[in-house]
Amino acid sequence: MEKKQTNYLQLIYRLAIGLIALWFMSIIWPYISDVVLMLVFAFLFTTVLLSSVDALERKIGHRGLSVLTVVTILIGGIGIFIGSFISQISQQAAEFSNRIDKDTLTQEFKAIGENLTNSMPEFLQNIISSNDDMAGKLSDLINTIISSLASMASAVGNFMFIAAMVFIFTIILLAEYHLFRKSLVKIIPNKYFELGLKLIYNIEKSVSSYLRGQFLSAASVAAMSIAGLLLLNLFGANLTLTFFIGIIAGLANLIPLVGPFVGMVPAILIAFMNNLGNDIALTHTLFGVIPSPFFILDIVLMFLIVQQIEGNLITPTLVGKSVGLHPMIVMIALLIGGTILGPLGMLFAVPAAGVLKVILSEIAFVRKNAHLL
Amino acid sequence: MKSAKWENIFKGWNHSESKTVVTLKQVPVFKDFSNKEFIELEKLIHLRQYNTGDFIFKNRAPGEGMYIIMKGAVKITIGTRNNNENILAELEEGDFFGELALFDDEPRSANAIATKDSQLLGFFTQDLMGLQERNPVLGQKILFNLGGVLGERLRGTNSLLINSQSTDKG
Repeated sequence: MEKKQTNYLQLIYRLAIGLIALWFMSIIWPYISDVVLMLVFAFLFTTVLLSSVDALERKIGHRGLSVLTVVTILIGGIGIFIGSFISQISQQAAEFSNRIDKDTLTQEFKAIGENLTNSMPEFLQNIISSNDDMAGKLSDLINTIISSLASMASAVGNFMFIAAMVFIFTIILLAEYHLFRKSLVKIIPNKYFELGLKLIYNIEKSVSSYLRGQFLSAASVAAMSIAGLLLLNLFGANLTLTFFIGIIAGLANLIPLVGPFVGMVPAILIAFMNNLGNDIALTHTLFGVIPSPFFILDIVLMFLIVQQIEGNLITPTLVGKSVGLHPMIVMIALLIGGTILGPLGMLFAVPAAGVLKVILSEIAFVRKNAHLL
Repeated sequence: MKSAKWENIFKGWNHSESKTVVTLKQVPVFKDFSNKEFIELEKLIHLRQYNTGDFIFKNRAPGEGMYIIMKGAVKITIGTRNNNENILAELEEGDFFGELALFDDEPRSANAIATKDSQLLGFFTQDLMGLQERNPVLGQKILFNLGGVLGERLRGTNSLLINSQSTDKG
């Protein structure tokens, strides 16, 4: 009886401590959230790059030099990609603005509107009263996009700072990873020591296999998208920047469920920009039946095929169920991640849920085998 | 006169071996290692402190690696502590135990209990795997030496078995 009472007291005590800890976290969270986010990013980059650094260290026998080489190659790659992307896109934009003035743009919108309305069933045609409205709305939409782009530019400064900090954290973590891991292990109490070691290893394994899986699927989506876009070009789609569109589609694919649709947007925009004023593209039909102005439906179909191949063929074969989470849990994790951190949260939601799953399964193991500790 | 500044600058030049390296040098698993390799190995070793009577691991608990006694003493037992405890071995400084866990996922086959306040060096499967990735030569050396140690133990067991069989017949 007395023992039971002590247990209740212990439970209440633990609950109180837990609540105080939560309250304290909620107070300090706004101040530390940025740093925590940077550390999470740095940890994820470290996990992705660790195997390359280890492999290089095996070849050249020097940790610091391996870290420097891998990081330089990565930064160089990203720099070249962003630099050439910006220069090509500005070239594209300049060409576009030279070719089209505002009047022709409005006329084009009007033509698209008419084309779309004509292809609709009659009862829908009656609902849309005026085509001019549609042209106006499209112009408004473009204005909104431009103004939101301007506000985005102010966020770039903040982003650059975060990126620099993540970069520094990643280098330190990569160079000292094994020592860092060792000091983490040092604080585990003796009773849970081997279990803690196993837990850290399982978390590392789960996160790195998930990230490797994501990397492989992103690379396959990028390669297939580039091939698909080049194929569409053979049919006269007149798409430029195919390499960049492919890579962006691959990166967007990292965000489950929403990403694949985001990946289509640049391709559609480029198709629209390149083919504006081209009557053949305007009246293009998919399979000779479905009207697909500016090859938009062709592009959507191509991306859908790419996603099906990636989702049903490549990922299951190459990666397997890397995290092994139920689709329902994935969706819930995405919703929670999206609510807390936006698109970034969605990117990290699934690996975070995977880590949580590993921790919970280890806790379940401990509860079941408490007599062995 | 001694200058703290100059002392600091030249600190480490006259590098003496750490206690960890001295202990590791006594272990046959790490025989024929160069000083550089010992320094590399030291980065992977975990130093743990145990009080008298503390369990290092329990029988049937999942095993992750081996321990080397740097200071203190450890007994290997089966059975419960109070009733029918059967002491299999009493280990002193420089001895090592639990090395089978480096090779398989099987649970521990005995208890390990500190009989004095002890400092142990832990070397674990995941660290060995990591070392194998980064420095395969060193990894191979450890595996080869471990094979030798296990072979020696097996020969010992064989001769014990033969002895007990001949005693039974006699």
